Amino acid sequence: MKKPKVAILGFGLVGRIAALMLHERYQLHIFEAAPNANDNGAGALAAAMLAPMAESVICDTDIAELGVEAMALWPKLLAALPSSVMYQQSGTLIVAHPQDMGDLRSFEQRLKPMAGHYAQQASSQDIARLEPELAGRFHQGIYLPSEGQLDNQAFYKASFELLQTTDSQFYFGQSVELHQEAQGRIKVNDAEFDWVVDCRGIGAKQQLHGLRGVRGEVARIYAPEVSLHRPVRLMHPRYPIYIAPKPNNEFVIGATEIESQDSGSITVRSTLELLSAAYTVHSGFAEGRVMALNAGLRPAFSDNRPKTSVHGNVISINGLYRHGYLLAPAVVKQALSKELL
Amino acid sequence: MRDDKPLTIYGQKFESRLLIGSALYPSPHIMQEAISASQSQIVTVSLRRQNSVSAGDDFWQLIKDTGLKVLPNTAGCHSVKEAVTLAHMCREVFATDWIKLELIGDEYNLQPDPVALLEATQILLSEGFKVLPYCTDDLVLCQRLAALGCDVLMPWGAPIGTGKGLLNPYNLSMIRQRLPDITLIVDAGLGLPSHACQALEMGYDAVLLNSAIAGAGCPVTMARAFNYAVQAGRAAYVAQAMPEKDVAAPSTPTMGMPFWHQSN
Repeated sequence: MKKPKVAILGFGLVGRIAALMLHERYQLHIFEAAPNANDNGAGALAAAMLAPMAESVICDTDIAELGVEAMALWPKLLAALPSSVMYQQSGTLIVAHPQDMGDLRSFEQRLKPMAGHYAQQASSQDIARLEPELAGRFHQGIYLPSEGQLDNQAFYKASFELLQTTDSQFYFGQSVELHQEAQGRIKVNDAEFDWVVDCRGIGAKQQLHGLRGVRGEVARIYAPEVSLHRPVRLMHPRYPIYIAPKPNNEFVIGATEIESQDSGSITVRSTLELLSAAYTVHSGFAEGRVMALNAGLRPAFSDNRPKTSVHGNVISINGLYRHGYLLAPAVVKQALSKELL
Repeated sequence: MRDDKPLTIYGQKFESRLLIGSALYPSPHIMQEAISASQSQIVTVSLRRQNSVSAGDDFWQLIKDTGLKVLPNTAGCHSVKEAVTLAHMCREVFATDWIKLELIGDEYNLQPDPVALLEATQILLSEGFKVLPYCTDDLVLCQRLAALGCDVLMPWGAPIGTGKGLLNPYNLSMIRQRLPDITLIVDAGLGLPSHACQALEMGYDAVLLNSAIAGAGCPVTMARAFNYAVQAGRAAYVAQAMPEKDVAAPSTPTMGMPFWHQSN
């Protein structure tokens, strides 16, 4: 039997997860505005942390719980890929310099309780046990043992690799126009489809009322002198900064959060702030190599919550804000389950 | 009882004595709700270089939707030149000659630089700006700023974002006494509604705050609490508090009480 045709608009994080969930049952046509597969969208730059507890400080409880649900979906998604992708569940360590203890206490107060997830006070000894290279540098912290992270660059590559072995077709460097046809069919540019899944992120700004970009800047550093076993967050009076260790001695250090649609290069100020904060966590970063300094736009609605909708046979999934990796598997599954899964 | 004159900023009158910031909220939606609950009529906005008019227009639109008077600030500037340039950009982007002049002298506690502040204030006033300088609680500095032509001064309560309240009530009250005709707004360092109430009780005309609301567990409820606090503080100032005494004075007359019920 001929498979129904589905167009996926956008091959960032959300588009990839939709494609992974749909490719067996549908013939996919994947449209991406960027000219290639592996560096598009906010998802390519992110630290890819799976931190529902830490993020519960700034989001509603139901969003944090959705993050817990999504964490359980990641291992199955990654297991289906042809090459291995680092997926780690070793927790998050949150530390603060002595003058920022007030921020650490405030962070702790705002952690929302969730079943099966808990926060532990981390003493100097605990910090030294968890991250030996931070021994003596920090005397107080918080450990969130259930949190994790993955290697998003490897995920981007492996998901493309898998989809290339299927009957999915790719159209890179293509902008799209949707035309609703009679009998519920829909056209993307000139081709007809049974369904369209719109995962364009900020690219769908013209179609989605209230969608805005929130600028984020990150650094990717190669630092062989630094060894961390899990993402470390540093409390800072103005910028919560994380250092996420990736394979091959690479670290993602991020991220600024600026209400702006400007996706231009990272500023000197942001670079200084991110790198000096990393240096105060571990002086080994001084001799690290700057692999990349990036800026991107997180798609967000005014309440910073994801939104999915179905209009005719167009399913739209957008507004994952700073919670792409945290939420995407659960949000995409929910959005597709009624009509396509 | 004192006269209850409305808050006046460069000739414009306002009923609310709470100026509110637009940063650090969990989401723009919560920011809008908190601003509405605060009943503020003036909102401060920070213009970062990356927010060119077109680049930042979505967030800017959300601010405009509040319908409030916008007070742009020069947050994050460290030199006179930077602050003056940013003030020019703000005037263009936000179409207002009001500027909250913030010039940071110390990176860690964000203490204003008094020397650079005087210089930048002079330049901007001469260019027709209506300057609201964010300054420390130093009387002489405040006198100098007033002498340059500022109608409004905004001394700090404590360093930005610390929530410590009025660290030096003596200094603040001296500024109030010595500059009776200047509109005085406590800007920065407040954490609790009682801090705002205290500033208003002291005769300050208004308070400006951001983190105390945006960083509260429920920003909307806290915004409401601050609104009540400034109203209470102002009413107390107008009503004139009773003088403080060192010895207890009974509030119930003791005449007619049998002598064996009276102690000593």
